[in-house]
Amino acid sequence: MIRLSPKGKLYAARAYRSIFGRGCLIFFALVIVLAMFAVSPAFAQQTERAKALGMRVKCMCGGCNDPAGACFHSGGEFSGPCATAKVMLKKIDDRIAHGKSDDRILKEFVQEYGPTVLVDPPAAGFDWTAWIVPIVVPIIAIFGGWMIVRRWRQEAPDLSAQTDASVTRDLLARVQHDVEKSEL
Amino acid sequence: MDIAGSFALLLALIVAAYAFCAGIAGIITRRTLLTKSALNAGMAVFFLVTFAVGALEYFFFTDDFSLAYVAEHSNRALPLFYKFAALWAGQEGSLLWWSWLLSTFAFLVLFINRKKHPELMPYVGVVVAGVQIFFLTLNNFVSNAFNVLGAPDANGVLRVASLSDGRGLTPLLQYPEMVIHPPMLYLGYTGFTIPFAFALAALLGRYPGEKWIHITRRWTMIAWCFQTVGILLGMHWAYAMLGWGGYWEWDPVENASLLPWITGTAFLHSVMMQEKRGMMKVWNVWLVFTTFMLCILGTLLTRSGMVNSVHAFAQSSIGGWFVSFLAIVLMICFLAYWKNRDYLRSDNQLDSLVSRESSFLFNNLVLLAGCFAVLWGTLFPILSEWVVGSKVSVGAPFFNKVNVPIAMFLLFLTGVGPLLAWRKTSLDALKRNFAWPLAGGLLSGVVAFIFGFHEFYALVCLILSVFVVLTIFAEFFRGARVLAARENTNLLTAVGSLTMRNTRRYGGYVVHFGIVLIFIGIAGSAFNKDTQAELNVGQSLRIGPYTILCQNFDSTANDNYQSARATLEVFSNGKSEMMLYPERRFFPASGETETIVATRSSALRDLYVVYAGRSPEDGNPVIHAYLNPLVKCIWFGGLVVVLGTGLALVPNRRPAIVLSPVTDRVWGETVPRSAAAPAVGAIQRGADAHD
Repeated sequence: MIRLSPKGKLYAARAYRSIFGRGCLIFFALVIVLAMFAVSPAFAQQTERAKALGMRVKCMCGGCNDPAGACFHSGGEFSGPCATAKVMLKKIDDRIAHGKSDDRILKEFVQEYGPTVLVDPPAAGFDWTAWIVPIVVPIIAIFGGWMIVRRWRQEAPDLSAQTDASVTRDLLARVQHDVEKSEL
Repeated sequence: MDIAGSFALLLALIVAAYAFCAGIAGIITRRTLLTKSALNAGMAVFFLVTFAVGALEYFFFTDDFSLAYVAEHSNRALPLFYKFAALWAGQEGSLLWWSWLLSTFAFLVLFINRKKHPELMPYVGVVVAGVQIFFLTLNNFVSNAFNVLGAPDANGVLRVASLSDGRGLTPLLQYPEMVIHPPMLYLGYTGFTIPFAFALAALLGRYPGEKWIHITRRWTMIAWCFQTVGILLGMHWAYAMLGWGGYWEWDPVENASLLPWITGTAFLHSVMMQEKRGMMKVWNVWLVFTTFMLCILGTLLTRSGMVNSVHAFAQSSIGGWFVSFLAIVLMICFLAYWKNRDYLRSDNQLDSLVSRESSFLFNNLVLLAGCFAVLWGTLFPILSEWVVGSKVSVGAPFFNKVNVPIAMFLLFLTGVGPLLAWRKTSLDALKRNFAWPLAGGLLSGVVAFIFGFHEFYALVCLILSVFVVLTIFAEFFRGARVLAARENTNLLTAVGSLTMRNTRRYGGYVVHFGIVLIFIGIAGSAFNKDTQAELNVGQSLRIGPYTILCQNFDSTANDNYQSARATLEVFSNGKSEMMLYPERRFFPASGETETIVATRSSALRDLYVVYAGRSPEDGNPVIHAYLNPLVKCIWFGGLVVVLGTGLALVPNRRPAIVLSPVTDRVWGETVPRSAAAPAVGAIQRGADAHD
């Protein structure tokens, strides 16, 4: 048993009163009542895992291009999850309740709706290149840039004496005349 | 009037074909009269296409539904404002709009330069006429806006028929910004035709020096600015109209507008390498070519239906024409380059890895890597279908994962680039220029982390943004301090004076500042919140510091639409702040419904409220509320970008003193600096001065 000093008892009593005092009790009761009456969610709140999965599959209604978890169905009668999205979200809930893994649930969606149901291409088979190429290309570009810089620095030829043979004196004179006219 | 409009379009095609053929003949035979006639024909196209556009608008304003296009995209109840905008609501009209903007640009370029650059302009006229021929062919034979409606009479003879009313404009387009957004974007697309024409002309005509770059600099900046404004207005439209709480969904058509903007941005930077040091000539020419081809690709993606998009209202099956045109353009560009590649030889080499030149090179590489990543993601569904036979989706998470690191690196280079000197930067200069901005950036990161700012990319973005802003302010401060001491003025006057002496440089810094603001605004999306609830009168919902109390639901109607509206009172810390009226509008003509979002916008956050309609299950009204931090930074940043671009377009007040480059070009020959000018510095002409 915890034994409290007189000062500790005083603090504990204050804490008890502040938590369970009459005013607070009324306040908490009001909050609970208000919470019951104030708002009811537009559709059943899902777990974080279900929400995350809902964002990884596309609403397959054909009328929008949104993830099922964020279907706002622009132009439709209702700007919230449409009937198709709700069915898909319900399926996610049910499959989670059956203890299925995320991968398994997504695979089942692919079997049911085809590969376009996934918001992103899967990192497997040919679709793997969707992820790899945008990483490899910048690396190659930067490496290529570095090689160009290196080559430029190594070669650095004396260009001061070079002229373009195809640029004739006649053409240069005409261009000079042209530029002078334009600058007037 | 429909016959007159059709005839004007046909005549415009014939005149453009003449401008093309006579231009080529003039170049080959070197007959000045023929060349002049071709250029005049190029200008005449503008008047003919203007007449055709005017004729189509006449049909819209007079509610003449005998034209199929007018019947499809307008109705009697449509406000005049939108009747004007209905011109580009569908494919036929928007292609005509393309042709008109292109002919306007062509007219301006040919008219302004009619007595200048006689060696270059005939080639420019031919290239522009070539592009015009393509679009006018589409206007005349593939997608004609002047097709009339027909119906058989009692004898079975087909006669012109007119509907009593049209189907109306798609509700998505009935928003004030949609009157400005498409023209701005199209001005960007068509505007990039001008630098393309000059680059190809300079290459074909082997026009010596960097003159074409000087001529097209302003045209490129104007096109880029229009493209920027177009993209931002599109973002704002998506934010205010679609009702999903965001502004960028990585939709293929959004991506299509971003691609030429990225390459155009790269060109605006790399062009300085050519002007200043005579370097990256091949790169610049190909950047201009790519930008133009991406503009065509953008139109192809918008119009062809190749990819799924929210812009489905604009889709049709003219993809084959655009693909063929793209192939022809690519072939001509490649042949022109291959034949004249020796003309693009670089004048100078890079002296150091730590220099302004290398920062421009890497800035370009990173921009192009970003452009490629966006293009790759946009076209991957088509590629996947082609290779493995099944289409996949590439959504926003993919683009965010791939592009955010690239964008962060780009932001870093935005801060680094201006601090590096041309040719070589010493270690001392590096320390001097970087120490304070870097320390400031890191300090802001530490402070933000302590205050619970734990999103990785948002934190990195904040650090880099502070770093870039400090470098920009340091640049202004350093220059202004010297000027203030020299001219004995105060610092603020000196900043103004400094800016007006080199508008391009300091205008560029203002643009960078605007871009940083946009980045900050986008980083804010990491902290978005939203909640959705059924809300009857007297009920409330809470989001962040706000409580939204439902006061009323009412409905109104006019000739064009029926509106269902929620009246919501917003409380903050128990105090009533304002009323919000989110709406849903039903348009009987098209049978579609649209959301009108209500927003309480402040510098720190937007409270964004959508009336989602009545729940299909129990008929209760549903309110969806979002709390989006820092969104205003994006729109304000856009405004700063436009101001900066405008500033960069203003000619310098006085000639700027520019430190001497290594060599000067004297009429095509590269001569040592000492032979070109006796002094160590050279005074450059105001308009061309830059840094």
